[in-house]
Amino acid sequence: MSNLSISNVSKLFSTTLAVDDFSLDVADGELVCLLGPSGSGKSTLLRMVGGFEMPSEGSIRIDGEEVVHLPPEERPTGMVFQSHALWTHMNVFNNLAFGLKLRRLPKAQIREKVEAVLELVGLGGYGTRGVTQLSGGQQQRVALARSLVLEPKILLLDEPFASLDQHLRERLREEVRDIQQRLKITTLFVTHGQDEALSMADRIVVMRDGKTEQIDRPDIVYREPRTPFVAGFIGTMNLIEGVVQNGVFSKAGYSTPVPVADGPAVLAIRPEALELTVAGENAQGHVHRVTDYGTHGLVDLVLLDGTRLKAMVSHPDLFATGQGVSLAPKAIAAYRDNVLIHRVALGKETAALRQLVDA
Amino acid sequence: MTARPVSWVQPSRRLTGLLLVAVPVLLFAWMTIWPILSGLTTALTPQQADGSRPLSFDNFVTFFSDPYSLANLGITLWTCLITLGLLLVICIPLALYLRFAQGRLATYVQTMAMFPMFVPSIILAFAFIRVLGPNGMADLLLNAVGLPKIRSPYLTPWGPVIGLVWDNIPLTVLILVSGLGAVSNQAVEAARDVGAKPLALFWHIILPRMWTSVAVVVSFTMLGLFASFTLPYVLGPASPEMMGPFMQRTFRDLRNPEMALTQATITMVFCIAFGLFYVRAVARNRGN
Repeated sequence: MSNLSISNVSKLFSTTLAVDDFSLDVADGELVCLLGPSGSGKSTLLRMVGGFEMPSEGSIRIDGEEVVHLPPEERPTGMVFQSHALWTHMNVFNNLAFGLKLRRLPKAQIREKVEAVLELVGLGGYGTRGVTQLSGGQQQRVALARSLVLEPKILLLDEPFASLDQHLRERLREEVRDIQQRLKITTLFVTHGQDEALSMADRIVVMRDGKTEQIDRPDIVYREPRTPFVAGFIGTMNLIEGVVQNGVFSKAGYSTPVPVADGPAVLAIRPEALELTVAGENAQGHVHRVTDYGTHGLVDLVLLDGTRLKAMVSHPDLFATGQGVSLAPKAIAAYRDNVLIHRVALGKETAALRQLVDA
Repeated sequence: MTARPVSWVQPSRRLTGLLLVAVPVLLFAWMTIWPILSGLTTALTPQQADGSRPLSFDNFVTFFSDPYSLANLGITLWTCLITLGLLLVICIPLALYLRFAQGRLATYVQTMAMFPMFVPSIILAFAFIRVLGPNGMADLLLNAVGLPKIRSPYLTPWGPVIGLVWDNIPLTVLILVSGLGAVSNQAVEAARDVGAKPLALFWHIILPRMWTSVAVVVSFTMLGLFASFTLPYVLGPASPEMMGPFMQRTFRDLRNPEMALTQATITMVFCIAFGLFYVRAVARNRGN
């Protein structure tokens, strides 16, 4: 059983607050992704857990034991770095065996452990190879194996796939997830790739400017973003700035019921939740471009005031550039002052209400 | 339309290239290769009483059978090895500090480490005499607090060692810091992550990555020390003496250019050995 508890951790670099009062509990065997743009503090946070940075304040506990004052070499964590950080003067076997040798394990046991973990990452028989002879993907597997062979309580992954091509990245993240679930190892994973976070994580922590924006399951983060930042950062999102008056949100000829107090609001609609219908004179916008991706199409449309939106359609051939369209969102969320004020999946009833509003 | 054959333009370009390298190559041949061959020929063809110059190793036999010459070669090797050892002991920690430390103090330390580079050897020698020589500053300070005088290293074999160590610190630190650039922060962090404490980190991760720069330091320093003259001449003992002052005295005071060339040839053989060590280290580095 290994769990990680981060409580009220902050990190101040000179005058820059990199992490601001961050708290998170990671349960045993859970994989949590820290997701955010560059400079959001996710790597700093990971490095504080690994012992490479000292928090300015707060506490980090592993299995209830405070580790803030322990140097990296004494922490029960294993870190996989973005640049692999393999030691090029050692072969694959020695890269993996180094940590075990420092722990003065018998040679036979070291060999057994190294070979087992090489098999685990699919590199059985690669022990005598020089690390520079391996491909990027193989090097990253060696880096992962080097951490796993020491059986750390917490595995820390710092954008491990960032330097790999898209195809390899997709394959490796599946493999890493499989290994993590097989070993049931508690994992903290830093990435700025939403695909990685959505496909691998048990929970996602969306970070911005050193603070937590949202901590939730991937499906909830995607479908029910709590802030406009999360809505815009995860996946593609149409964000329409408009005004609510008498329970109706309006923007350049488009309106929809939003039963909140009057005032400015930001309406968020996913492209896949935005249905389009071809319209004539009452069109709310017109098609700017249609892109056919084979499995689906993406319609780039422009509202009457020039606001650009995207809608995912199953039959892109039904739309053409310049065509007038009406918007029929299936689900909307509304934000005001960075806070969610309304969310609804628009069913038939609300569709009927919208018709009344439009009338 | 067909492309113009490359061979049409090649001869003129080749000639231009050859002309460009011809000047430095000819200068190198004239200023370096020719004196070497000339000196070697003179050393290997000692002049006989009848004026003839047959091929003979007599000059080398004379050198290696003369206890004074051997003592001079011995003190030169001793000075070089001790100086090199002290340089590595002082400069490796300094280079490690400069590579991994951050902040204003590291900048000051770097400036201090580079300072000797701008001090001419002769000024350094006189500063040494004024501080560590008989009745120098060290003696005056000790005397002021009622302590006995130091045993001055001036005019002992340790005099040139101290001066040469001081003089060679900047170049040694520069080479080592440049070599440490090959050790990435993440490689160090990865080692710490798997449990390496400072000594294991240095021995297993940092040192193997900086071997080439250590080899460069060894070869460069040994070449420089073998050829050193001012500091051994001013600070060293009159007897035995290092090869630099020995050659100069043999040539000028004893008016024996043939023997001075023999001493130079023997010095050159040692320097070639360290030169080859340098070439091997660089080749190994490129191989990696």
